[in-house]
Amino acid sequence: MNPADRYVPRRRPRTRLAVALFAIVAAVLSALAPDAGAEYGDVVINNYSDGAGMRPVVFPHWFHRVRYRCKVCHADLGFQFKAGGNQINMVKIIDGQFCGGCHNGDIAWSVENCNLCHSGKPGTLTQVHESTTSQIASPPARVTAK
Amino acid sequence: MTPLRGSSLHGRTAALALALVAAFAAPGARAQGKAVYDQACGVCHNAGIVGAPKLGDAKAWEPRIKQGVPALYAVALGGKGGMPARGGNLNLSDTQVKSAVDYIVSQAKVRATTAVASAPPAAAPAPATRTAAAVASTPAAQSPPASALPTSAAQPPAAPAATAPTDPPASSVAKFAPGPTTVAAAVPVRAPVSGAQANAFNRLLRPPAQRNLPPAEDGIHDPANDGTQLLQPPLEAFGALPRSNAGNRVDWVKALAETRIQPRVDRVDPKAEAVVMDLNIVREVKGSMPDVVYPHKQHTEWLDCSNCHPAIFVPQKGANQISMAGILLGEKCGVCHGKVAFPVSECRLCHSKPKPTAATAAPAR
Repeated sequence: MNPADRYVPRRRPRTRLAVALFAIVAAVLSALAPDAGAEYGDVVINNYSDGAGMRPVVFPHWFHRVRYRCKVCHADLGFQFKAGGNQINMVKIIDGQFCGGCHNGDIAWSVENCNLCHSGKPGTLTQVHESTTSQIASPPARVTAK
Repeated sequence: MTPLRGSSLHGRTAALALALVAAFAAPGARAQGKAVYDQACGVCHNAGIVGAPKLGDAKAWEPRIKQGVPALYAVALGGKGGMPARGGNLNLSDTQVKSAVDYIVSQAKVRATTAVASAPPAAAPAPATRTAAAVASTPAAQSPPASALPTSAAQPPAAPAATAPTDPPASSVAKFAPGPTTVAAAVPVRAPVSGAQANAFNRLLRPPAQRNLPPAEDGIHDPANDGTQLLQPPLEAFGALPRSNAGNRVDWVKALAETRIQPRVDRVDPKAEAVVMDLNIVREVKGSMPDVVYPHKQHTEWLDCSNCHPAIFVPQKGANQISMAGILLGEKCGVCHGKVAFPVSECRLCHSKPKPTAATAAPAR
């Protein structure tokens, strides 16, 4: 028996392993690379939007911090420090909670300007754009909140 | 065919014109319907607020559509239950409200037959018109129109008048609008990695051409959304602010210290003052990195004590284990730094107190 023949079956799993490794490396690389040029700290909130046929919400931190200190939203209005962690919906907003604390037509423009908030590309996942967490540890995951 | 032959050229032109009108008017009306819906109706009908039947929920809409589209028009115009007249937007014209109803009916995808049965008689020629439009719009089909034409050509010129306005009979919409308007991309958006990005020296450093892009170009906002065009481009706001090398490339702390920005401390009271605490905490760190000086001052300018204490940091010396690994994972300082406050690439902003070395023999302060 030719010794070369014996090695053939052994090589196949190695090729597969190499392909698998390559796929993993490619996946990690794609997770690390910045995928969009949005502002640092822009939060995409897509807990319910896709399911409701709306574009996901893009919250621009930079725009708001020019006008308000962090505490106004994160202490007074009760926003948790977590993208997608606040279960915000339109009922609560109209009721004056979360965004509705200001977006009530009184302090800031009101909820009928849907497309100013719901302005993200459909299917964009909930995330803080460019956060180290999502770039390094856990890429944005689809939250199946009901 | 004899009675038609004399006027065949006439008939053909009329049918073509009619077909063109129908072809252009119908999508326009649908777009208008969607626009009105998004503006006035979607607030409730997207999520089903106050018992509103949800858009596209065939089961909820079927009994309503069975009552006839005119009945739906009446409800939309006059209100019903928790629903205000014209969706609460009294500036909308009758035509606009009706177009929104047509859009809702088209999205419900209830069988058009039920709608046809109760729709006004003017609805009858519409499907035939649309068929003619579909046929006529392909050039190859224009020469032998014999089979498609008689139906529409036989209609008096009143037909286009009935179909041309931005108010097509609901039955035609229900039957022919599969809806290019539905926002249905379920595929997660993750842009493909370009070669330049994959091999970037430091992924936290963005190439100059990609910094502070206007919303329509930033890859997250939908450029097709009308609202996106109304949003302020970041550079417009950042123009006068001190720059930094990371994050938004704005030095927010400096901007506040120099009163280039005057963010409110209270939601409503523009005069409210921040409760600032000036206390530095020095944390000695392992290895050769300079020690960390944590300034309460700059943090309390922005934040309330309760934002950090006690959930994130136990307010007690030595009670908090902090590591860069944890921070990178979004814990402790990483709750904000690396997400919205300056990122961890700016080591020396925190690690700012050089360790006393034997060479200098400086007394530890």
